[in-house]
Order: sequence, then C-alpha cells, then structure tokens
Amino acid sequence: MGNNVKGRRYRKCYANLLQLYPRAFRDRFGEGMAQTFHDLCREHGDAGRGLFGFALWTFCETLVGIVRENLMRMNYLGKTMLRVAFMSLGLLMVPLVASQVVEGWNWKPGGFVIVYVLFFVTGMAYAMIARKMGAWSYKAGVGVALVAGFALGWSNMVHVADSENPANLVYYSVLVLGIVGACLARLEARGLARTLFAMAATLTLIAVIVPSGAPPYMARNMAIGHGLFVVLFTASGLLFRHASLAELK
Amino acid sequence: MAKKNTVQAPLTPAVLHILLALSTGERHGYGIMKQVEADSQGKVKMGPGTLYGSMSRMMEAGLIRESAKRVDPEMDDERRIYYQLTGAGRAALKAELIRYRGVVAVAEGRLAHGQ
Repeated sequence: MGNNVKGRRYRKCYANLLQLYPRAFRDRFGEGMAQTFHDLCREHGDAGRGLFGFALWTFCETLVGIVRENLMRMNYLGKTMLRVAFMSLGLLMVPLVASQVVEGWNWKPGGFVIVYVLFFVTGMAYAMIARKMGAWSYKAGVGVALVAGFALGWSNMVHVADSENPANLVYYSVLVLGIVGACLARLEARGLARTLFAMAATLTLIAVIVPSGAPPYMARNMAIGHGLFVVLFTASGLLFRHASLAELK
Repeated sequence: MAKKNTVQAPLTPAVLHILLALSTGERHGYGIMKQVEADSQGKVKMGPGTLYGSMSRMMEAGLIRESAKRVDPEMDDERRIYYQLTGAGRAALKAELIRYRGVVAVAEGRLAHGQ
C-alpha cells in the first residue's frame, strides 16, 4: 500500500522530470520512458524492495540523459553560453580562493555575483564579436579591447568606491564611447580601429585634464595605469587596422 | 529522413547490448532492460536515460525502428511501444561481433606468447 502511494508520487515526479527533455525527444520517447519507469516501480514493489534508492538512481541517471540530449540539440548560441558560463565560473575561482587566502579580501556574496556577471558578459561579447571575422588580428583586437575595457571598468568601479569621488565616473565615458563606436561601426574592423584610437585619445585627454586629487606617490601609479590602458587600446586599434588591411588585400 | 549507418565503427557498450537484446525479437523499453540485464548476467543495469538516449541515436542511424504499439501478454493491459532491429542493425551487430572475434584472437595470441 505504502509502496503504491510512493510509486504514484515518484511516477508523477518522473513525468515532470521528462518535461526537461527537448520537445522532439520527449514527443518520441516520453510515453515509453514513463511506461518503463512505471514497470520498474512495479517490479521493485512486487519484490518488496524500497523505492527510494531506485527512484533516486533513476532520476539522476535520467537527469544525465536530459543534459546530454539538450547539449546535443543546442544551437551555437546555447553551446557558447554554456561554455562561457563554465569558463566564467572557472575564473570566479580566482577571487573566491583569494578571498580565503588573502587577508583583507572580504567580498560580500553580491560582489562575487557582479564579478561573475561581468566575466560572463565579457566572455559572451568576445565569443559573439570574434566570430564576425576569421582574421587572427581581428580576434586578438577584440580580446585586447575587451580585457582592457573590463579592467578599466573594474578598476574604476573600485576606485570610485574607495575615493568616493564622483568625478572619476568620467572614465566610464571611454567605455560608452567604445560601445557606441562599435555599434556605429557595425563591428567592422576599420570602424573598430577608429573607435579604439578614439578611446585611447579620450583616456589620454581625461588623464591630462581631470585632476586626480591623489597624493604624489599615487599620482605616479595612476599615470602608469593610464599609460597602460592607452597602450592597450592603441594596440587593439592597430590589430583592427591590420585586420581591415588584410581584408582589403 | 533517418541517417543510415554505413561506417562500421565500434559500437558503444549500450548500443551493443540493445542490439543483442533485440536480436531475438521485438521488445518494449522495459523488456530491453530486462534482456540486457539477463544477457550480462546482471552486470549491466541500464537506466531509462541511457536506454532511450541510445535508442534515439540508433533510430537516427537506422539500426532499429519502432514497431506497432500493443499489449504485452505477460504484463498488464497497457499498450507498449515495441522496437525491432532493422537490416542495418543486424549487419552492425554481425560486424561488431566479427571485430570482437578479431580483438580476442589478437589478445589470445599475445597472451600465449607472453606465457
């Protein structure tokens, strides 16, 4: 009696689990799978064996099948998203481990979520933009631009939080310029080269015009930081220029 | 349209067991599971996820096909979907057994030399 009630409950859960299969697979095999599970439940019940262990094993085994079938039927976007999601998770391990080891590194859970989202968005941006062109210089240009953009955005976020100086928000104009430029250029190499050069020039201008208000020893470090970002944006621009010239040949 | 399996690549253990189970006649999902268990003397226990996942690929490869839905006289009065081997499935099973024989012959030869 007890096994019957449990069996009915497990069969209902199993039918719900089968909904996670891709539609085409479910339409073809869903009924047969539910029937087979029913038969297996009855076999266990008739033998007087408990259903919990069997149901747990079958649910896990079916779940593996669901993941496999969904992966096989995923399109490029789905596969890319999954790959980037796992890579972002791998990268997240760095701050996660560091927060356990490095003294004073005490991020709140929200901080990890933000970093994960940033990793994911940057990774997806790379995957979607880099496939626009086969040239290595284009892919490298996208990579350098995104890494530099990510680092600039991140360091500025930390700097604004530490200094509580809203004037530093002006650095985000460089990133906005990059996004607008990339959209206007429709991700064409030539337009992206111009955009990256414009970003480097804007950053240089900001570094010269906007007073940092930092003490002299900090100002030197900031100048080095600015220089590094300008070099990265320029390098990315040169890579896009190379890709655009290669396209013309 | 189903892809036909023209390349005689080694079969996965699950596919081989399903082909073996269906080699003696049509079976439904639960029947295949029980036959696999019996053929392997209880060593292979296939869950529904593995069974139907493998069968999906086997149907795409043209190794098996669905048969008529009917009641199993040895079980309850529920109608079940039966599966059966195709000609390609039977040929794949034969080819796999020949491959196995070859592997066994090589292995036995090596072991005999090693003694």
